[in-house]
Amino acid sequence: MGGGNAGEIASALAVESVRAHLAEATRHVDLPLIGPCDATVSAPANRLASAIRAANDAVHRESWSRPEYAGMGTTVVAALLFEEILVIAHVGDSRLYLIRDGTIQALTTDHSWVAEQIFKGIMTETEAEQSPRRNIVTRAIGVESNVDVELTEVPVKGGDMLLLCSDGLTRGVRASDILHILSGSDDLPIMSDRLITMANEAGGDDNTTVVIVALRDDLQAGLWERLKKRFVA
Amino acid sequence: MPETLPHSPNLLVKLQGKGSRNIDLALETLTIGRKADNTLVIEDPAVSGHHAQIVKVQAVFFLEDLKSTNGTAINGRPITRQQLRDADVITIGQHRLIFQENATDSTAAPVPFVDLDRTTVLRGVDRTPDRPTLTAKILIVAGKTDRLEYTLTKQVNLIGSQDGATIRLTGWFAPKSAAAIARRGHSYTLSPSHGVKSLRVNGTEVVGQQDLKDGDQIEVAGVKLTFCVLSGTKNTPR
Repeated sequence: MGGGNAGEIASALAVESVRAHLAEATRHVDLPLIGPCDATVSAPANRLASAIRAANDAVHRESWSRPEYAGMGTTVVAALLFEEILVIAHVGDSRLYLIRDGTIQALTTDHSWVAEQIFKGIMTETEAEQSPRRNIVTRAIGVESNVDVELTEVPVKGGDMLLLCSDGLTRGVRASDILHILSGSDDLPIMSDRLITMANEAGGDDNTTVVIVALRDDLQAGLWERLKKRFVA
Repeated sequence: MPETLPHSPNLLVKLQGKGSRNIDLALETLTIGRKADNTLVIEDPAVSGHHAQIVKVQAVFFLEDLKSTNGTAINGRPITRQQLRDADVITIGQHRLIFQENATDSTAAPVPFVDLDRTTVLRGVDRTPDRPTLTAKILIVAGKTDRLEYTLTKQVNLIGSQDGATIRLTGWFAPKSAAAIARRGHSYTLSPSHGVKSLRVNGTEVVGQQDLKDGDQIEVAGVKLTFCVLSGTKNTPR
């Protein structure tokens, strides 16, 4: 978001800030959390939210550094796996899908105007897809000095797949088509290439990012191990 | 980034004893006076027949006093001709006219101008949906745990011996993680941890995962638990 290529600047900066904050927290266990602690989620979830807030600070600060960066922002979905719990943090309309036993389910709820209309029962999903306001997000990274990060935790198991994606994919490609692609192969790079191709064919002129994670049964590696994380649209 | 629909400059007219109204400054010239041939007629003996006018020169607005008897002022200073700036207050007798260069319509929905190809943020509105008010408890029926009763306050509540487990198993051979109870919206789902051989609900083996309902009896890793949804909380499906 933002003029010129400021959106890409914002997302790159957000990715780096999240990575740096998590790395710092690994080195210094007592690194203070940025923002409030949420008692309804685990310590790793609070750490991930803290990292997203660090990214918000960085992007927000940078947006004031040059006129062409004014108002830049980005959406984010980040995931952290510890033991058998998946922690998801998101802001905006980037999503995380869980693919399990031949079904696909979005574990995130978009922070968008149309999502609110659907939630209130004012709009149907089909109306939302066609709405001229479907690009309006109600939360973003870097736009304001504070950000409200939504945290979700779910138990996961070997055999599950995760798809993290930007709105470029979900705007043009249906969940059922995504499921079809993800069920048709064992080769993750091929799957992600196919998804990008589908997004482009569907007219996605927004940059599309997809990250696919396959969880295997031997995932019980070390404590707090970060299997896969981070992705920004 | 948020943009608002362009609004043309306008004049907020507050006539003494007559309330207020808005005049769009779309015309090149807006005349103000007591006589009926003015654009804005003010029926007041203190106002001259042709009192003043607002002239648009390209994008700039000027206020000119037309040699009125009682004069025209901007922000309290008498003028003969002066450029208008946003929020200037024009005084004619007891009447006030407020010039609004970049007026936004406050009654319209706070929806930015939308460019279909770009993601836009709607700012300044907190639209966080209310958190679910549903709460649930686990009562220990049999087996070794650090407490006899647990409130499930987290999204994912682990049953196991490890630090951070909500329901802490203290038996000698208790697994670090035996099962998890996850809240999603208004429902709680039970699933076994990796490598756990037996997880039963009401005597039946759980395959994959299972939604819990009030009164369900859970058996795992040598403990028996009862799942209770607290009364007085709403349990409406989404």
